[in-house]
Amino acid sequence: MQELIIPLLNATVQSGTPILLATLGEMMTEKGGVLNLGVEGILSFSALAAFVTGYTTGSPWLGFFMGGIAGLLLAMVHGVVCISCLGNQVVSGLALTILGLGLTRFLGTPYIGLTTAGFEKAALPFFSSIPFVGDVFFRQDALVYVSYLIPILFWFFFRRTSLGMSVTATGEYPAAAAAAGLKPILLRYFAVGLGGFLIGLGGAYLSLAYTHLWTNGLSGGRGWIAVALVIFAFWRPGRAVLGAYLFGGVMAFQLRLQASGTNVPSSILLALPYALTIVALILSAWKRKRSDMPAALGTNIEPEG
Amino acid sequence: MSTCEFSRPPRKSVAQDERPIVEICGITKRFGKVVANNDIHLDLYAGRILALLGENGAGKSTLMSMLAGRYKPDEGHIKIDGNTMDFSSSREAIEAGIGMVYQHFMLVESMTVAENVLLGQTGNFFVNPSEMATRVATLAEQYGLDVDPEARVCDLSMGEKQRVEILKLLYRESRILIFDEPTAVLTPEETVRLFEALWKMAEQGKSIVFISHKLEEVLSLADDIAILRRGIIEGLVDPDCIESKADLACRMVGKEVILEIDREPLSAGKTVLDVRNLSGMGLDGVNLSVRQGEIVALVGVAGNGQKGLVESVCGLRKPPQDSIFIGGKPWRKFFEEASWRRALSYVPEDRLGLATLRDCDMVENVLLTTRKGFVIGPWLDKKRASNETNGLVHKFDIRPGSTQALAWQLSGGNLQKAVLARELYREPMLIVAEQPTQGLDISATEEVWRRLLEVREMAGVLLVTGDLNEALQLSDRIAVIYRGRILGELDTKDKAVADRIGPLMAGIEETASA
Repeated sequence: MQELIIPLLNATVQSGTPILLATLGEMMTEKGGVLNLGVEGILSFSALAAFVTGYTTGSPWLGFFMGGIAGLLLAMVHGVVCISCLGNQVVSGLALTILGLGLTRFLGTPYIGLTTAGFEKAALPFFSSIPFVGDVFFRQDALVYVSYLIPILFWFFFRRTSLGMSVTATGEYPAAAAAAGLKPILLRYFAVGLGGFLIGLGGAYLSLAYTHLWTNGLSGGRGWIAVALVIFAFWRPGRAVLGAYLFGGVMAFQLRLQASGTNVPSSILLALPYALTIVALILSAWKRKRSDMPAALGTNIEPEG
Repeated sequence: MSTCEFSRPPRKSVAQDERPIVEICGITKRFGKVVANNDIHLDLYAGRILALLGENGAGKSTLMSMLAGRYKPDEGHIKIDGNTMDFSSSREAIEAGIGMVYQHFMLVESMTVAENVLLGQTGNFFVNPSEMATRVATLAEQYGLDVDPEARVCDLSMGEKQRVEILKLLYRESRILIFDEPTAVLTPEETVRLFEALWKMAEQGKSIVFISHKLEEVLSLADDIAILRRGIIEGLVDPDCIESKADLACRMVGKEVILEIDREPLSAGKTVLDVRNLSGMGLDGVNLSVRQGEIVALVGVAGNGQKGLVESVCGLRKPPQDSIFIGGKPWRKFFEEASWRRALSYVPEDRLGLATLRDCDMVENVLLTTRKGFVIGPWLDKKRASNETNGLVHKFDIRPGSTQALAWQLSGGNLQKAVLARELYREPMLIVAEQPTQGLDISATEEVWRRLLEVREMAGVLLVTGDLNEALQLSDRIAVIYRGRILGELDTKDKAVADRIGPLMAGIEETASA
């Protein structure tokens, strides 16, 4: 049994990591009051940017960083449209997804089938020797270890820093933030940019650690799952970790099931994570305790006067 | 109106050589063609409470928003400690020591009291919640503002939220505190506590501006009174030298105001509303009836079950069976059969929420409850609706007099007139009016009162109000509600009735012999 469970859980963490990063990125964006439905496009585009950087420079870390930068830049397009031009956040986000996916397909064609070294699994000394936990969590690649820190930093940022408090206020009630002397417009750009950066790291993980290979459709709907997970997580990082690994688990499980040659049609197995998305959303709406949904989410800051 | 007695500290006199901390010098502000403030001169002194008295739309809030840095004056300037200031944002005004408590609280509901108070206070990048709470608690104690620093704002009462707003200003060491109609959202007890805090702040050297149109409050609170009318300072008044409230009211509105209204009792017709032993929804065995031709006031401190009663009578919540009868029909049957006219009209407290759509124009807002009167098959006769709306706008003198005005563009008084016009157009047999004159100026209040008295010809009125004077002026009977129970139903023909209401509102039941 151990031989079956441990690899599955290990794979769960691996496939949950890009979802976790994208979810936290979207959560960061939404905490500032901006809804970004372009996650899927950003994820895809930044995966390409990371792959190309890693492939040409040979430095996976530079590739990882460039994935984040690509995500930041693409998210800023959304930021300009919504925050400065007061565009509709839903429409702009959907357009961003189409743009990101299109750009990726267009620019990525020459790289199809190429591989890059990327990140390899490397056991973390000391931690990996913890029975069970070590095998599941600490025999992973370096990016996974980085991803463990991000939810903690995320929590710390919103609970223990004044900047985090300011971002929360901007997402809840921009006018109150302005009355307190803050600059809600800048704070929103900050949240959108940092959120885009995190989503971009998720994209980079896909091409540099998950596959090491460039192919079309790498994002595979993970961006949409991230959008749904933010709601499931009640805008809290702890629940985001739970949700991301849950989905990672389902993804890893269905891959294994497909590989085992089951006679369940593969299209049904592939649909499993998305079906679970719907179930998770229904459950989170059902057992609603106290959601931390930002009150001003999706509304633009109209100029005064 | 106010039933509370205040024990205020003696007023301080201004020393001859004392310099004002704020000098407003010849300020003019225009919005388009409308002159909101015209060449205003006003001085504020440390340790004194200045009341800015004026009707809705007189320009009080505009004037103070300029002082608080939200708007820029078109002409004139503001001096603080003798230095000319030119604020381009509220941040600069806050830094200069000016803070404003707005009518709509600027609080982040999901954050704690301490977080709200310290929001935007440049200090350390890292924050410590328990240390924040201690700081806020210390400050709250200093000014006698009782509030739990670790509570989430969304769990607080209106009065507590207001205290948080005040704490925000005090934390920023504001020397000039401006309060925009602060008592509009408070219960009488909370009002008393606010006034005590204001006096305490004045004692500690703060300069306070109190914007209001409530004469009693201004008279009992202020050291100086400035009357603002149509954007002009009409006069500076010493509250100790006021002959009568009516005199002050006259100067405020510029014409004789009838704070009292003549009411000829009509002979009551058939029963239009019958509430029988209604329980649940915060109510406990309520019996109440309203007949055509009479106004029955439901009086009580807010939150004693009025909401549950109003919502169930108006069909927003389902009452238990056989507890409400409207026009002789059981509740369910009435709402199944009710047409748009000759039925029930509801004038809700929340004018720009429940009553109207803020971004829709007058015609659409009138259609909101009357559309069934303008349908031809599946089509809507918008032209006729527009004509009828135009008629209502003129009949009720709803300014700015255009059917294209959007709900949010109307002042409180005009919006209320519009709601009333719409609801009366439906020729109801029962009207439920909830706080119909709350926040309205005297002339708008009078207009609303007059309409409610007129409508008795065809309907019975259930008037839910916290304003005792309103209840006494308008109603034939007053039912006092306390903790979901009607503690007494009093006939207003009895002159001593006013004295009996107070104890009932406070939950002191009369003995059977009374």
